Amino acid sequence: MNQTAPMMRVDRLDNGLTLVMERMPDVQSASMVLAIMAGASYDPEHGVGSGNVLSDWILRGAGDRDSRGLTAELDSLGVQRSCAVDTVFLRFSASLLAEKLPDVIPLVADIFQRARLPEDGFNACRDLALGQIDAIDDEPSQKLNVLLRQQHLPPPLGRPTLGVKEHVAALSAADLRLDYERRFTPDGAILSIAGRISFEQMHEIAEKSFGSWTGPKASMATIGVSPGGSRHVLQETNQVQIGLAFDAVPEREPESILAMLAVNVLSGGMGARLFTEIREKQGLCYAVHAGYQSLRTQGMIMGYAGTVPERAQRTLDAFVHELKRISGGITADELERARIGMKSRVVMNGESTGARAAALLHDMYHLGRPRSLDELRHRVEAPTLADVNKYLDAHPVQQFTLVTIGPAELAAPN
Amino acid sequence: MSTFKHARLANNLDIIAEVMPTTKTAAIGFMVKTGARDENPSVSGVSHFLEHMMFKGTRSRSAADINREFDALGARNNAFTSNEVTCYWAQILPEYLAPTLDILADMMRPALRVEDFDMEKNVILEEISLYLDKPGHILYERIMEDHFQSHPLAHSILGSKESIGALTQIQMREYFDQHYGPGNMVLAAAGQINFDELVQMAEHACGQWPSLSVQRSYPPVNPAARRHHIQDDKLKRHYLCTLCPGPSAQDMDRFSATILADVIGDHDGSRLFWSLIEPGLAEEADFSAFLHDGLGSFLGYASCDPARAALVEETMVKEFIRVRNAGVAEEEMARSKTKIATSAVLSGELPLGRMRNLCSQWIYNREFRTLEEDLAELNKVNVNRIGELLEKYPLAPLTLTTLGPGEK
Repeated sequence: MNQTAPMMRVDRLDNGLTLVMERMPDVQSASMVLAIMAGASYDPEHGVGSGNVLSDWILRGAGDRDSRGLTAELDSLGVQRSCAVDTVFLRFSASLLAEKLPDVIPLVADIFQRARLPEDGFNACRDLALGQIDAIDDEPSQKLNVLLRQQHLPPPLGRPTLGVKEHVAALSAADLRLDYERRFTPDGAILSIAGRISFEQMHEIAEKSFGSWTGPKASMATIGVSPGGSRHVLQETNQVQIGLAFDAVPEREPESILAMLAVNVLSGGMGARLFTEIREKQGLCYAVHAGYQSLRTQGMIMGYAGTVPERAQRTLDAFVHELKRISGGITADELERARIGMKSRVVMNGESTGARAAALLHDMYHLGRPRSLDELRHRVEAPTLADVNKYLDAHPVQQFTLVTIGPAELAAPN
Repeated sequence: MSTFKHARLANNLDIIAEVMPTTKTAAIGFMVKTGARDENPSVSGVSHFLEHMMFKGTRSRSAADINREFDALGARNNAFTSNEVTCYWAQILPEYLAPTLDILADMMRPALRVEDFDMEKNVILEEISLYLDKPGHILYERIMEDHFQSHPLAHSILGSKESIGALTQIQMREYFDQHYGPGNMVLAAAGQINFDELVQMAEHACGQWPSLSVQRSYPPVNPAARRHHIQDDKLKRHYLCTLCPGPSAQDMDRFSATILADVIGDHDGSRLFWSLIEPGLAEEADFSAFLHDGLGSFLGYASCDPARAALVEETMVKEFIRVRNAGVAEEEMARSKTKIATSAVLSGELPLGRMRNLCSQWIYNREFRTLEEDLAELNKVNVNRIGELLEKYPLAPLTLTTLGPGEK
């Protein structure tokens, strides 16, 4: 058996579509993601939510198949799938037995190039999207995430990915058909595949399925200014929802690994600082965590805690205290634990075709090239304690964005 | 090719493993056959609270030691409590199997210190509050009560603020002593595992645990057509749940039931998908086989615009009647089989997925089935067998519980 590192390959089609692949010989499955630049940031200014409605509508028939025909064919191939938008991309993700993948890619090509967008399905798709937006109000922790991104990120990057209710309600089928023509374009598109595959076969199928795809250049509105500051939303909830965000270097900067290691000291495992200090020692809440996220132009650290109103101010104060304390540096033991945690996650995620397909897409977007598991491991191993502490010293956590949801407002930390 | 291994210690602790030579990680865990259904109502929520306390230290380790040691091994670890089982697990790199088992096994003999108990009670009360902000969870707890009535499956997993508030450390210790015997649990591992070493280590770490006889009670359920609406004017959506009898986790009909449930309510391409989601009537709709120890049920769920509550309910019930009267078609059954098989293969590629599967099979059936055996059993199901299943379990009588704004 071939025990060398999984092999990767990147091909670029003439029309701008990038094909990125990783061969995983020890599995039976394969996963793919086709991502186009039609996420919420690329929605029309007064049509925020268009991409989300389209992510449903495009599945209602494509090429010579109607809605039922398309669904039946995907189900017959055993395709586990989802189609959704995030800040940047609209992505169709699928996991399945590897031998079926050659039959699935042409179906996906039909969805992205020849969706039928049937008139009778439009109202249903719009109603479902409106329902999803309303449902967010019933789940305060999800609502917090939406509001925190909106408050911390500059427009259009902070837009809610499900859309703005008034915009979605005003969408017409004709608007969306035009939007499909404009935004379902190979420019900037990435097709990522990982699993038991042959590069040659995948290249041939991708070329045949997507080679003649044409469309305009993908373009995003000019990036504005982040609202920042703090915001409280009054709502009769059982727990006060607390969300904090602050800037970090974006992932494409080599220093981002230092920010990630530091965040893992804060919130990597159950022995990390936030869990230990706020939950274990003080019993202030059940959920408290922070994580690093990145867009191409900016990185950020987002923190979350949920707690009953009586303990909310203490929780917020303790949370801010921990965020500020980390600027003072971490210990060698803490770094080693963060490091080994991240290294073992590289191996664990390396076993899942779905996780690898998503990681290859992520790498292509942020770095323009895929990273092997070895490279990811090395990246975690390389920094010294001095490197991390120097970074923390140079990037003190000072400017927070704070969003809270609950029956009473809290005193902001800034 | 995976191989299955089994050993039993003198105190009746079963050790099982699926050795998967091509994987690069391993998963290991203890599953204890105890959960909310095994609680006396006066200690409601103790199984789950105890699960938290198992992380709070042993005779030789503090809570901070446990968390720090897991982190130092790069482990991805956690635990969960259900109505029927409590499971403690870790996913690790294979070279750390020995120290991981050392911590996990030590955790299974917890100190249950009063000061830790008092502090952790706050965390449990927070967790209860957290779920009170989740309509899906509130509805689930209520329909379990509505359907199972005096049967212990009606018990809440988290307990209530009152029951947790009143619980004492002494009551928890008693519950532990009565349920955490080696014969009432299984130690399972999957992935890159050296089984002989695992057994040796387990002998050393768990061999001294005293044997204990544990009995679970299996009273009958009295299903009946029932409906219950919970009004909450703060909510924007209407939530609907159904429960009706189905086969148990031990019953070989579970394979037919899984296919039937997929035909009715998988999130893509099922009957509920076409009748509720595709026309835009409900943003969520699903139906699944809910297999318990000694009995079973089918669980349905939907959420929608409150203005469409009656229509969604009527549509869902009509689908149940249609499948009861006319069964399923060959083609839809074939599609469901393919979907279920694909999903089983995908989760079977990951040690954590296999470990969870091994644990459940052992707890419920004291047997090991390979993925291939499960898939072969699934393939044997035909439309006639699904017809017979529907005669035994006609998706009735139906308990229907709803939650949303406005009166019903």
